[in-house]
Amino acid sequence: MAHFSIPLPARRTVSIDLSRFNGIVRLLANRRVQLALMILVPILLLTTFRSVLPIAGPLETNLRAMTKAPSLEHLFGTDRMGRDIFSRTLAGIQISMFVGFAVALLSLIVGLVVGTLAGFFGGAIDRVMMTITDIFLAFPSLLLAIGLVSVMGTGMLPVVLAISLSDVPRFIRLQRSMALSLRSRAYIDAARTVKASHLWLMTRHIVPNTIASLLVAASIAAANAILVEAGLSFLGLGIMPPAPSLGNLIRDGQSYLEQAWWISTLPGAVILLIAISLHFLSDGIRQVLDPRSRK
Amino acid sequence: MLVYSLKRFAQLFTTVLGVVTLVFFTMRMIPGDPISAIAGDNLSGEALDRMRSQMGLDAPLFVQYLNYLGHLATFDFGNTVTTKLPIIGLILGALPVTVSIAVGTIVLTVLISIPLGTLAAFTAHKGHRMLDNAITGVAMVLDLMPSFWTSLVCLLIFSLTLGWFPASGTVSIDDPAHLLRRIALPVLVLSMAQVATLARITRTSVLEVLSEDYVRTARSMGWSELRVLFRHALKNAALPIVTVIGLSFGNLLNGTVIVEFIFTLPGIGNLLVGGMNSRDYQMVQTLIVFYALIFVAINFATDLIYRVFDPRVQF
Repeated sequence: MAHFSIPLPARRTVSIDLSRFNGIVRLLANRRVQLALMILVPILLLTTFRSVLPIAGPLETNLRAMTKAPSLEHLFGTDRMGRDIFSRTLAGIQISMFVGFAVALLSLIVGLVVGTLAGFFGGAIDRVMMTITDIFLAFPSLLLAIGLVSVMGTGMLPVVLAISLSDVPRFIRLQRSMALSLRSRAYIDAARTVKASHLWLMTRHIVPNTIASLLVAASIAAANAILVEAGLSFLGLGIMPPAPSLGNLIRDGQSYLEQAWWISTLPGAVILLIAISLHFLSDGIRQVLDPRSRK
Repeated sequence: MLVYSLKRFAQLFTTVLGVVTLVFFTMRMIPGDPISAIAGDNLSGEALDRMRSQMGLDAPLFVQYLNYLGHLATFDFGNTVTTKLPIIGLILGALPVTVSIAVGTIVLTVLISIPLGTLAAFTAHKGHRMLDNAITGVAMVLDLMPSFWTSLVCLLIFSLTLGWFPASGTVSIDDPAHLLRRIALPVLVLSMAQVATLARITRTSVLEVLSEDYVRTARSMGWSELRVLFRHALKNAALPIVTVIGLSFGNLLNGTVIVEFIFTLPGIGNLLVGGMNSRDYQMVQTLIVFYALIFVAINFATDLIYRVFDPRVQF
């Protein structure tokens, strides 16, 4: 499928190299990726264009429609201040997606740089890094995040940093172990014999061979970050109300569970849906990028 | 073995020291010292200074750090800010509740996931993909349900609608029957999250063992499938299963904080959230260290069990 020849009127042919898009094409052909995108794309479109939808704003109160059950007018119902839960959920997804993406990106970059250095050079750098990651890995992730939020305060930035700090050591470990096993491969030795610099070896020979696994880990980290952020906000330690983070929505509804079940349960179901589709995405990426699973 | 244990213990000690050091210096980074947090705006400068020297906060940071280590070694964690009760007493009082939730969850998880994982492996081995796919799929969904959401849904269904379990009320370790009724739902919720991992690993390890030569030999000797399964497959698949139970303990600890908060159970997770809300940093600091210690100790024990029971692991 690598080359297509398109005959042109002037008897010349233009050859398009499709192999550059091979990865993306194969990714889109994967059933799990398709399933994930079938959930994620509509959700992302809805959240992006929520301002033009015919729904009330996420913070808009309406005293004539307090604690209304789900209906066509209010898809997810309203809370006790008459705020539209569907609109708040869409706004919450935006916050969640941002947190998930920021955490995944931050962990990926730090993990890639530090892990490559530690694995490639070994020795003292490696030992120091491993001791430090050991210390961070000694905390259960949510508890580390709680501890860090207690120091840094609540809000978007502290939450992103707190969640990232528990993910970064895992990324460093992953990248380090891959770099460690790659650095003694024959092709690296071959590159060394032609005096390739350390930087060249790392950027041209190590990173391209490890990035796939890191991407898989990153999409799981994103799903996980969304769950942890919701957990923190639910405990009142994350993003502060009235910002409609999904955790805050569920927390709001907790005391009205009996009278208004929809306030908590529907936003929670959306979190679940997003987490599942991100896991499908990571599964799909793994299937496509893992050379052993190629047919 | 002894040498390995000692080496591993030394490593454990370094990690614990690192944890304590990290927590100490991070907590000192909070703007304003603990005294201003306690006193608020009510005390004058002179009274504040007196309190600082009483609590040793006027000493150089390094001396404070050494003092802190000394206190930790003697399990003296200081008093809470609001009620002036010794923190260690509160933790020990709350611990039984958390431990019963954790133990209950592990028991229920094992009871559900090992049969389920074995069944999935067995059907997959026989070539029936349907049941295997169904079990794997359900396990994944259970794994990803946020436990605070599952808690609320269970609370809504089983407590508020069906009225099977009390949603609130006092909890005492002296009244086991009532305690059991109160922790039943939290245990169910946490097990749902844990079942996925354990069922998955059971499936993988049993499936692996089922294609071993000795299982084929056992079959060819005319033994029943059940006997082959129990005597050979499960026995050999047990080790990775035990390891995963140990390794997923961190997730379990995360979960206990959430369910204790929702079901208003007076465990150490609730102490932590309470400490955070009343800005009792001493309490938070102690509990975070405490959780890390439990987690590290369990990992250490898991590692040792693995090495003791797997004859293939060399020292």
